Amino acid sequence: MAILQVRNIAKNFGELKVLKDISFDVEQGQVVAIIGPSGSGKSTLLRCINQLEKADSGEITVDGTKMMYKGENGKTVYAPKKDLRDIRLKIGLVFQNFNLFPHFNVLHNITEAPVHVLKMSKAQAELQATALLDKMGLSGKEKAYPCELSGGQQQRVSIARALALKPKILFFDEPTSALDPELTGEILKVIKELAKEKMTMVIVTHEMAFARDVANHVIFMDEGVIVEEGAPEELFGNTRNERTKQFLSRFNQ
Amino acid sequence: MDWESIKKVTGILFEYLPNTLKLFAVTLTFAIPVGMLVTMLKKCRFKPVSWLTNLYILIMRGTPLMLQIIAIYYAIPMLKANFSKQGTSGWFASFINGIDTRSESYMFTALCVAFVLNYAAYFAEIFRGGVDSIPKGQYEAASMLGMTKTQTFVRIILPQVTKRVIPATSNEVITLVKDTSLANIIAYAEITMKAKQQMNTYSSILPLFIAGLFYFVLNAVVTVVFALIEKKFNYYK
Ligand SMILES: Nc1ncnc2c1ncn2[C@@H]1O[C@H](COP(=O)(O)OP(=O)(O)OP(=O)(O)O)[C@@H](O)[C@H]1O
Ligand SMILES: [Mg+2]
Repeated sequence: MAILQVRNIAKNFGELKVLKDISFDVEQGQVVAIIGPSGSGKSTLLRCINQLEKADSGEITVDGTKMMYKGENGKTVYAPKKDLRDIRLKIGLVFQNFNLFPHFNVLHNITEAPVHVLKMSKAQAELQATALLDKMGLSGKEKAYPCELSGGQQQRVSIARALALKPKILFFDEPTSALDPELTGEILKVIKELAKEKMTMVIVTHEMAFARDVANHVIFMDEGVIVEEGAPEELFGNTRNERTKQFLSRFNQ
Repeated sequence: MDWESIKKVTGILFEYLPNTLKLFAVTLTFAIPVGMLVTMLKKCRFKPVSWLTNLYILIMRGTPLMLQIIAIYYAIPMLKANFSKQGTSGWFASFINGIDTRSESYMFTALCVAFVLNYAAYFAEIFRGGVDSIPKGQYEAASMLGMTKTQTFVRIILPQVTKRVIPATSNEVITLVKDTSLANIIAYAEITMKAKQQMNTYSSILPLFIAGLFYFVLNAVVTVVFALIEKKFNYYK
């Protein structure tokens, strides 16, 4: 069974229909790239799955636990608080603008949740954080504060922070678009590393070359619907869909 | 005025400085936590509570502290007089009647109530501004890490708010040092009241000048203390 199942998700902001009947699956170990023009609803979709926003209707199942579903009377039902919390701890989200805690140093940013949410011992959490920083190429930055780091470094800390909870799925919302072009490479490298380790990831990105390179499944969204999805070679190589072609042509010049 | 009288006046003011400091310290100690409480009430989702809190803030900030001091100080003796005239009874009347308005502590208590209510309104607005200035992303990041609402507030939001409100709080505290002089309106024996008396005794404004120096030095201390606190929070931006 797919580790993430999304079925018929709909979401309106007032009159604006941002998501219309979105369905897709993510398999264990898959790297899914979500692409699409600005305003197509990519962030909203991630936010609905991550409980930062409430979808109006549809079903979401994470790792076998139903997060929201259609109840007997046809109304959308959300899972009880405890299940929602369990699900939340199984998924991580990396934000476009990092959202590190500025008053904590790098190490503390990473150990905060393991210690205070998972009740891990401080020593163990720090050991784990040091290992994660090493993996992110940030050894020696433990004591630095976020404001002392470059954007690329901050984003790597935020990835380490998310990984410290050992999520089953890691979501990224345009992890490189707040960064200078020279710095995006270091983030993409880290994501590639994670892909090699079979980390399940869903990545919203405007970096087409990267999507093509690292994803094994690509979803193209436009105006709140999934226009097309498939293997990257298919979608980038020889799509028949006019809308997809039109969108991609902007990147292929 | 000669040197001897200046020394004498300064000595008298020193004697009454503790009364000024007492009012200052009690106001600060209570107005800050009460201000936090008011911020929370203002942010209450049950609208009537939020509206009432707004009304309270509006009145406290919109009318002179001096009037508030007078009103609170005289309210209870007047209520008492009314109750005895009309023969009112009940728990409220007996509570009010139980207050000894001639006691030493009554005046100080009334002053503290007025100052705390007034300053809490200002602090509440400062704290609200601080809380509102924390980006939404901080809450979202904390929630993605599974932190509870309480954990998020205590561990993530509050420390950042504290840093942000220091400059505005510092302004308020400096004003409070000077505002303690308003207590002279109900004849509380603090330094402004005593300086006025000495002014009459000596027919000189020099005692007022000396009192001014007292406030000036107190505020110099406040300024230095806040600069140190600000520096302590300077390790991050
Ligand atoms: N909180 C909100 N309230 C009202 N409208 C919103 C809200 N959040 C998003 N929208 C609207 O929903 C639509 C989809 O937004 P969303 O951020 O999901 O798009 P996106 O595909 O992530 O775009 P981008 O590539 O620019 O990040 C937009 O029209 C946006 O203005
Ligand atoms: Mg977006």
